Amino acid sequence: MGDLFSNLGLGFSTVFQFVQWTPAFLGGMSIPLPINILLCLIGALVGTLVGVLPGIGTIATVAMLLPITFGLPPVGALIMLAGIYYGAQYGGSTTSILVNIPGEAGSVVTALDGFQMAKQGRAGPALAIAAIGSFFAGCVATVLIAVLGAPLTKLALAFGPAEYFSLMVLGLIFAVVLAKGSVLKAIAMIVFGLLLSMVGSDIETGASRMSFNIPELADGLGFATVAMGLFGFAEIIRNLDAGGEEDRQLVQQKVTGLMPTRKDLKDSTPAILRGTVLGSILGILPGGGAVIASFAAYTLEKKLSKDPKRFGRGAIEGVAAPESANNAAAQTSFIPLLTLGIPPNAVMALMVGAMTIHGIVPGPQVMQKQPELVWGMIASMWVGNLMLLVINLPMVGIWVRLLRVPYRLMFPSIVVFCSIGIYSVNNAPMDVVLAGIFGLLGYWLIKHDFEPAPLLLGMVLGPLMEENLRRALLISRGDATVFFTRPLSATLMAISAFLLVLAVLPALRKKRDEVFVESES
Amino acid sequence: MSDAPSHAPEKSILPSWVKGPQDFIGGLALVAIAAFALWASSDLQGMHGFSFGAGTAPRMFGILLLGLGAAVTVVGIFTEGPGLSKFHWRGPFFVALAILVFAVGIRPMGMIFAAMSSFLIAALGTPETRWKETIIVGACLTGFCALLFPYALGLPLQMWPTFLIR
Repeated sequence: MGDLFSNLGLGFSTVFQFVQWTPAFLGGMSIPLPINILLCLIGALVGTLVGVLPGIGTIATVAMLLPITFGLPPVGALIMLAGIYYGAQYGGSTTSILVNIPGEAGSVVTALDGFQMAKQGRAGPALAIAAIGSFFAGCVATVLIAVLGAPLTKLALAFGPAEYFSLMVLGLIFAVVLAKGSVLKAIAMIVFGLLLSMVGSDIETGASRMSFNIPELADGLGFATVAMGLFGFAEIIRNLDAGGEEDRQLVQQKVTGLMPTRKDLKDSTPAILRGTVLGSILGILPGGGAVIASFAAYTLEKKLSKDPKRFGRGAIEGVAAPESANNAAAQTSFIPLLTLGIPPNAVMALMVGAMTIHGIVPGPQVMQKQPELVWGMIASMWVGNLMLLVINLPMVGIWVRLLRVPYRLMFPSIVVFCSIGIYSVNNAPMDVVLAGIFGLLGYWLIKHDFEPAPLLLGMVLGPLMEENLRRALLISRGDATVFFTRPLSATLMAISAFLLVLAVLPALRKKRDEVFVESES
Repeated sequence: MSDAPSHAPEKSILPSWVKGPQDFIGGLALVAIAAFALWASSDLQGMHGFSFGAGTAPRMFGILLLGLGAAVTVVGIFTEGPGLSKFHWRGPFFVALAILVFAVGIRPMGMIFAAMSSFLIAALGTPETRWKETIIVGACLTGFCALLFPYALGLPLQMWPTFLIR
C-alpha cells in the first residue's frame, strides 16, 4: 500500500513538474511553466478537435497527431499522446451524439440513444452524462492501473521467451475473438501484418529481407507511415466514396442547458457504475477491449432495465453505460502495455510505435528503469480525464460549429497535414509515397471487408514474436514442445486454443454476432 | 492494389459457381501477396541446425498467409456472400496523386508550394469543390502549417524552393 502511494506521488510530481521558461523577450526573467500539464491539456484539446471530425476514429486521430509529439522529451510526448487519445475518444462520442456518425466501432452504441436524445433537444444532458461517466470511469481505472501495475510487473519478470511468445499468441487470438466480422479474415489480417513486419533488416543476422534494395525499406516499414496510410488516407478515400454530405444529419437545435436533471443523474448512476466495472475488466484482456466493452455494457443495461423498450429512443442509461465502459476499457488497456510490453489493441500498438521512436522499449524493465515515465503517464491519465471534463463541457458550442465544416474543405486539409506529418518523421519523401500506397491498400481492404486494425497489431507484434520464438527455440535446443511443457506457457496456449475453438463454434458465434447486431436493430 | 476491377462488374467476370465474390477476390489477392513474399524471401538463409535463419520467419508467415488466403477463397466459393462493392476512381486517384505530388515536390520546391499544390489536387477528388473557398482555405492551411511545424513543434522543414534560396 505504501508503495502505491509513493508511486502515485512520483507520478503526480512528474506531471506537476515546473520548468523555468526564459524567453528572450522578457530580458532574462523566467516564468515557471507546468510543462507536462500544458502538454496534456494541448493533447486533449487537439485530440478532441480532430476526433470530433465526422468519420475519423480514435486510431486515425492518434496516427495523424503522432508526428507533433516527436520533438518533445519522452515523458512529455507520452503524456501528450495519452491526452490526445482521451480527447479523440471524447470527440468521437460528441460526434455520435450530435451527428449520428460514429467515428469508430466503439461509439456506434453511444449513437443509438445519444442521437435520439439530441433529436429530443436533450443533447446537453447526453454530452454531460457522457463526460461525467467517462470521468468517473477514468478515475476508477487509474487507481486500478496503479494497484495492478506493480504486481503484474513482478509476474512479467518470471516470463521467459516461451511464455512471452505464448502470451502474444493469446493476445492475438483475443483480438480475433473480440473483433467484429469473420474470424478467418481477422486471422489472415494478423498474419499479413506479421509478414509486413518482416520487411527490413533481420535483427540477428543483419540480412536485408524483402527490401528490394530500396534504401528506405532497409530499416523496415515505418510504423507511423503504415498507420497513417491505413487509417488516415484510407478513411479519407472511403469517406469520399460515401458522398460526404448527404448522410450528415446534424442536429439543428442549439445545444442549451447542459445540466442533467436530478432524474437523469439518478437513472444513470447505476449504469455508470456497472459500465465502469464491465469496462475495466474487459479492457485488461488483450484484444480490442474497448469496443466489446461498450457493446456489452449496452446489452447489459437493456437486459437489466425494467422497460427495455426505452432503449434506442433516447434512454440516458444507453449513453451513460457504454461511455463509461468505453473509457474504463480504454484506460485499463494500458495495463498489458505498461507491464508486459504487449499492446492489446491498435491504439496501444500506436503507443508502442511512439515509445520506440523515443527509444523506449515498453515492458517490465521500463517500470524499474524509468519509473517517472510510467507513473507520470498514469497520473496524467487522471489529469487528462479531469481536463476533458473541464474543457469539453464549456466548449461544446465550438465542437458543434466544427461539425458544420463541409467535408470538401476538410479532406484536402487532412491529406496535406498527414503528408507533412509523415515527411517530418524522417525527412524522407519515400515515406509519404509508401503511406499513399498503404492508403490505397487500406481502401481495398475496407472494400473487401477486411479489418485493418488486426493488421496493425500484427505488424507491431511481429518483431517481438519472432525474437522470442527464436530465443525460446535456441534455449530449448530446437525443441518446439517447449511451448507446451513449461506450465505457464502451456496454460496460455491452452487458453488460446480454447478461445479459438469457441470462436468458430456456431453457438458462440451466434451470440457474438448478436452483441454486435445491436447496432443495426 | 489495382487487381480489383474498378467498375463493379456484378459477377459478369466471375463464373457463376462463385457464391461470394467479395471473399473470393479478397482471398485470391492474399494468396498472391503471400506468393510474392515467399518469392521475395527465397534468397534468404533458412534454418541451420536448430537456430533460425533470416528467412525462416518470413517463410513461416508467408506459408501461413498462403493457407489462410486459400481458405478465404474457398469460403468465397461455397458460401453466399456480398458481391464486389463498387470502386470509385475519382477520390482514390486524386488523393493518391496529391500525396505523390507532395512527395515529389517537397525537396525541390519546399513546403509552401508542395502543400498548396497537394491541397488543390486533393480537392479535385470530389465534384462538390468550389474553387474560391478551396483556394482561400488551402492558403490558410499552408500558412498554419508553415508556422506550426518549424516554430511550434521545432521540426525543421524547408519552406521555399531550392533555387530561390540559393
